[in-house]
Order: sequence, then structure tokens, then C-alpha cells
Amino acid sequence: MTARRIVNVLRKEWLLMTRSPSNLLFVAVIPLMLVGQALLLSWILPRFLTVGVPDSSTLAAGLGDVARFRVLLLDQFRFFVLTIPAMVANVFATLSIVEEKITRTLEPLLATPVRTWELLLGKILSGALPALAVAWASTGLFVFLAALLGWGPLLRWVVGPAWYLSVFLLTPAISILSFVLGAIGSSRASDAKGAQNLAVLIVLPLFALIGVQVTGLVRFTPLLTLVLSLGIVALDAVALHLAVRLFARESILIRWR
Amino acid sequence: MIHAEHLTRRFGDRTAVDRLSLDVRAGEIVGLLGPNGAGKTTTIRMLAGTIAPSSGSLRVGGYDPSTEPERVHEIVGLLTESPGFYERLTAEENLAYFARFYTGIDVPGAVERSLDRMGLADRRRDRVGTFSGGMKQRLALARALLHGPRILFLDEPTAGLDPEAARDLRGSIVELSAERRTVLLCTHNLTEAEGICERIAVLRTRLIALGTPASLRDERFRPAVRVRLAGDAAGFAVALRDLPFVQAVDAEPGDRGSLSVRLDDIDRDRPRLVARLVELGGEILEVAEERKTLEDVYLDLMKEGS
Repeated sequence: MTARRIVNVLRKEWLLMTRSPSNLLFVAVIPLMLVGQALLLSWILPRFLTVGVPDSSTLAAGLGDVARFRVLLLDQFRFFVLTIPAMVANVFATLSIVEEKITRTLEPLLATPVRTWELLLGKILSGALPALAVAWASTGLFVFLAALLGWGPLLRWVVGPAWYLSVFLLTPAISILSFVLGAIGSSRASDAKGAQNLAVLIVLPLFALIGVQVTGLVRFTPLLTLVLSLGIVALDAVALHLAVRLFARESILIRWR
Repeated sequence: MIHAEHLTRRFGDRTAVDRLSLDVRAGEIVGLLGPNGAGKTTTIRMLAGTIAPSSGSLRVGGYDPSTEPERVHEIVGLLTESPGFYERLTAEENLAYFARFYTGIDVPGAVERSLDRMGLADRRRDRVGTFSGGMKQRLALARALLHGPRILFLDEPTAGLDPEAARDLRGSIVELSAERRTVLLCTHNLTEAEGICERIAVLRTRLIALGTPASLRDERFRPAVRVRLAGDAAGFAVALRDLPFVQAVDAEPGDRGSLSVRLDDIDRDRPRLVARLVELGGEILEVAEERKTLEDVYLDLMKEGS
């Protein structure tokens, strides 16, 4: 019954999503912009390279400076792609509960036998799964276009264990975390704007992550990527538990008038 | 079917519902009346298991909504004050969504039956956003009935509806009682309550009156007749007050004034009253039983409370 209820929430959310073309447009445009920008930077920036790339045994040893710089840029994509679920969550997850409050559907919903965690998990997955699919599709498109631009040989330095861990473990974990945090913001906020303001906080740690990677302060080896991913998976569980605790059914019904 | 004892709900320092004790039998329609802020919606929410009481005990269909909310939700239907639908979904999609949360029901069948019953079958594939207020309210009742609940909590079901839509909805509520469903109806519409409720509970944070509309009337108002006379009626008032079967006389001054005469027994004493008036030379134009309504009872209770 639990799975049926979660799928029910998920299906309804998707149905509503398809009835709002602007939402679909947003989900389609964001990744295309991100892929285009990443490829453009990977193409242009190495042309202005005047200083050498810092020597590193892990960074495409044996290649020329331009190619190594390009490898460095291409490798950043796996971090930039993490912002897709965060951005999608900023729009969808933050509205998930607030919208129910606005449309007054929350009270009849809470009068059904659905449990809080079933409702929240359904809402979280309904956003996190498409966001994840978009992130993966963007990654595939990025690799395909990079190969099309003649950078296929460079990809063997990019697409490796750390890349796979990042794409198939870190990205889903971040995706779920973004939506859980968005749902928490949504259930605590008193209006849609307030929820979105709270959700900006989701993106900040990601920019910090990208920052430490780009500046070279930390190099995300496969082991470090695995540790980070597992840490975020654990954080997902804690955040979901917190979301259920913070979803105060009574306060929502009583204070929202 | 519903048993509440000393049910209390506080919000901080404010007490919304104070020691409410109420028993509702299976198949009974009970109206919950009271001014705004009297605790009607809070009571319904506690009974429906969407909020917990601060103290007191409660059983709904044999279950405690505080500890077994999901069991209670399986057997009760709630019609909230605002219908609350996903406007971009069709009527059918909305109902199917809510139906899938219940155990052991045939979702397509339940949706179809509910829509048929509320006369919305031909609009099943239309988006709810295109529905009128009355249609949304009927759809909300269809949603509350999806899982065949034994108990229904209806919060202001006819508020904001045009008279025709309100009448249709009232008809549907009466049908529910005929099916032995227990209905607790929260309303400001006293005529509606009088027309369809077997018993009335008047709430003003605390339960201030409970009974059938007739018993509430009789408790507060003795039976009376209104006598319309040609000429000044006030002149007869003093003579009538001396009669042993007359309890009180109120005179309305004027050329064609009338008297409101409260009697011990209206059927027995009315002919005697008429005979005495004729003896006194009164020219009677009309004698009619003065019917006090639930509204009179309610206003009297409110006046007393304030």
C-alpha cells in the first residue's frame, strides 16, 4: 500500500507538471544552457592559455598544455551538472507543499490515510527523478557533443571511475537532497516566495563544492568522490527524517488561512 | 458512532474547544451551530483526526483519532470548508488521486459511482478549473464519499452556493442519512440545519445546547398564539393576563395591533382564549400559532451567552 501511495503522489505531480508547459520548458532549457556553456568554455578558454597548466600526475599526463587544460575544463562538467537538480528543485520542490496550501488541497489530502512520509517521499521523488533524468541526459549530450567536436580522445581522461561515481552516485544523492531541502522549505514557508527564498540555500553548498574543485583546493579522486557521495546519501536519510518531523500537519492546517 | 468526552483543544493561551461531550448515533444527522470562532471547525478536525485534542477522550467508529488516525481516515469522509482541488486536473483525475490512498477500493468504480451520484458524470473529463462553485462543492462531496465512509464530517457544505445548488446538496445529504451514514454538519445556515438535522448542537467554545430542533424550541419558548384584532389590541392585554391558562401576553400597539399570548397548552387553551376575547368585545381578524424557529432559539442562546 505504501508503494502505491507514493506512486500515486508521484503520478499526480507528473500529471500536473505536464499540464504546465512553462515548467517543461524550464526543465528543458536549463540543461541545454548548461551543456552549451560548458562546451563553449572548453572550446574558448584553452585558446587564451598563456601560462602552463600546473603539473599533476593525475591530470592527463603526457598531453600538451592546451589539451590538458581542456581536460581540466571538461572534467568540471560533472560538478556543474549537480546544479541541475538544485535549480529544478528551486522551482518545483519549493512549491510542492506551498501550492497544496494555496489550492487548499492539503486538508482533504491529510484527511486520507496517507502518511506524512509517503506524501513527502512521493513529492520528493516526483521532482528528483525527472531532475536526475535531465542531469543524466545532459551528461550524455555533453559527452556526445564533446566527441562530435573532436575531443573524443580527451574524454578517456575525463570519463573514468570518479566520473561514473559522480554521475551515478553523487548526482542522484544531490538530486534527492535538493528536493528534500526544497520540500522542507516549502512546508515551513508561508508563501511561494518565502519557500523559494529558503531554497536558495540549496544551491550555496554546491557552489562551494564547485569552487573548491575549480580552484584546485581539493581534487575529487574516485575515493574522495565515493566518500562525498556516501556522506550525502547519509545526509539524504537524515534530511528526509527531518522533513517528516518538520512537516507539522496541525500548524499547516491551523495557521494557513 | 461518535463519542466525545470533555474534548478540549487549546492553541497557546486560547481555548478553541472547551470540554465538549457529545454522542452521535449511527445514521444520525447532527448539526453543529455556533458563531465564527466557536470551535466548530476545530471540533470537526479533531473528530476527523487531522488535529489532536489537548485533552479529553474521543472514539470515532470505535477508533481513537489521536492514536489511530489512519484507521479513522479509512472510515470517515471530510468535506472541508473550501473544496480544494487541483484545477489543472479533470474531475475524474482528482477523484482517482484521492481514492488511491484508501485500501481495498476499486478506484475506477468508486470514481464513477461518486460522479454519477453527484450528477457530474458528464463533466468527468473536464478540468476542475472550469467548474462553478456549486459543481466544485458537489465534487468535494463526491470525494468525501469515494471510499463509502460510515461517518461524514461536512464543514459549511452549502456556503457560497446559489439557492438551487444548495437545495440539491441538501438533498444529497439527506440521502446519506437514509443510507445509515452518520453525518456531522457544521453550518451557519439555521434553516438548513432545522430542515435536515435530527439534533442540533450549539457550540460557543463550550456546548451550550443540544437536542432536536423541536426540543430546543420547547425548552426556550412556551407555545404561543398570535391574535390579530380590529382596533387597539393593547387594551385586551390586561384582561387576558388574569386568565389562569395564560402565561404571558405581549401586545403590539396600533390600530390593527396584535397580541402574542403564551398558553399552557396551545390546543386546549386556544378556544378558551378566543371565547374570552369575544366576550370582551374583541373583533378577531386572525388567530395563528406562533412558530418559533431554530433561528429564534439560536439568537436567544447567543443573547444569553453574551
